[in-house]
Amino acid sequence: MPDWLNALLGPGFADALAYITNGKHFAWYGAFRFTILAGIFGAALALVFGLMGAAAKNARFWPLRQLGNLYTSIVRGVPDVLFFLFFPLAFEQAVEAFLARSRCTAEAIAANPGVWPPCPDANWILGTWEYLALACVSLGIIYGAFAASVIHGAMRAVPQGQLEAARAFGMSRRQVMWRIHVRQMWIYALPGLSNVWLILVKATSLLSLLQIADIVMWADRLGTPNFLTQVGFLHGDWRWRYYFVLFVFYILVTFASERGFRALTRWAGRGMLSADR
Amino acid sequence: MDWLTANPVIGDIRTLAVPSLFNLYFAFASIPVGFLLAIGFAFGKNSRIAPVRLLSAGYVYAFRGSPLFIQLFMFYTLMLSFNQSLWKPMGIDWLVLHPLFLGPIVLALNTTAYTAEILYGALRTVPRGEVEAARAYGMSRWRQFRSVVWPNMIRIAWPAYTNEIVFLFQATALVYFSLPVIGQQKDLMNKAGELFERDFNVFLHFSVAALYFLAISIVIFFVCSLVYERLMRHTGAASRARFRFTPRFLR
Repeated sequence: MPDWLNALLGPGFADALAYITNGKHFAWYGAFRFTILAGIFGAALALVFGLMGAAAKNARFWPLRQLGNLYTSIVRGVPDVLFFLFFPLAFEQAVEAFLARSRCTAEAIAANPGVWPPCPDANWILGTWEYLALACVSLGIIYGAFAASVIHGAMRAVPQGQLEAARAFGMSRRQVMWRIHVRQMWIYALPGLSNVWLILVKATSLLSLLQIADIVMWADRLGTPNFLTQVGFLHGDWRWRYYFVLFVFYILVTFASERGFRALTRWAGRGMLSADR
Repeated sequence: MDWLTANPVIGDIRTLAVPSLFNLYFAFASIPVGFLLAIGFAFGKNSRIAPVRLLSAGYVYAFRGSPLFIQLFMFYTLMLSFNQSLWKPMGIDWLVLHPLFLGPIVLALNTTAYTAEILYGALRTVPRGEVEAARAYGMSRWRQFRSVVWPNMIRIAWPAYTNEIVFLFQATALVYFSLPVIGQQKDLMNKAGELFERDFNVFLHFSVAALYFLAISIVIFFVCSLVYERLMRHTGAASRARFRFTPRFLR
């Protein structure tokens, strides 16, 4: 830093700048990529599961309709954190059970009874990226259930006259579905989907529960009282300051998302007559 | 009665009965506090005085816009940093840092914001004519609130508030992920996790824990729908809003 700037800001500023740009802090800033990736891919999968769930809820075939209803009511009746932990564990065990069928001999299974996996060869060790992928899928399943009910409601909100007009024009069932029904559905679904996205963003703070070194885990590591033998006591318990930064980060993300969805709603509703824009 | 003790599902249901009380405690210790505070914040957000309005709106926005998980960590570590200077000398560190005390406090701060938003929305939709009529009758401010504004408000807000109670109950699953577990004071998630580490049967233990959450949610929902029936007893069944389990802007 040039001297004049140093004189202007005081020595404390240079120290603080050096502190927040040290290697560990860069690891923390880098950890934001996990949160962002989980948000983006979780939301994309939630939309896919939501569309599938809504299609199932709308199906003419009775068992499929019940399956759709069961999916949305069970996932919504259970805390998100429970499902968030359950799905990766269950998936890991299912893969290990599959591996055990080919890799484990009867002797190996008999040698270690009552433990999982049945034999050491069938152990599937997951790293950060595998856990992140599983976390995205579980976020997709959980918030897909919320999205399914939003989309299901939005499909019903499309005016019948629009669909009848399309049919009168001689469009086939599929054409009515994709060109009119789904196209017009978005404007009714957007307010609900914006809520689902805001919940999903907040759920991305749970990644550390799956052993991912995400922003929450780094905040905890950086904030714990720091003692170095050469330097002495660096700082006391600063964890709440780091959590406060995350608190502000999530509020800013919420603010930006709300602005984004407002613009998206204006865009999706262009050319449609409605009073609330 | 041998099948009763040997069946793993029944065994899990019995093991998780006591932990479920911790979740119920967290929910029901924070709901009354949150409800009372929320009434204040709802009126604060509607206030004509700019600083009051901005502060209330800011509080509601901040706590609805950030995850409960972070809030729990933040308040716990904040309390912890005052331990040496404040709580220890005052001799109340055993109370302030206890999860059974701090947990409901953070949950109450959180639910206050969500409930205030619901009540504020209801306050804005109280029929204007009724309030004007009350004023024309010469009712005092308190009388207006007591006999016109509040009865309307609570009726409008109740379906949404029911959802808030249910989702607050589900959010109690997060408390012990960030606050320390003391001895055998474990909630449903902790106990399910402990059982899982013993025999790695994720399907059994997590499903039974989920069953508990589902069952208690349904009971809460049923009780709230009875309250709603009572609140709306003067109206015909057709004019009532549909009472449904719908997601709102949740944590």
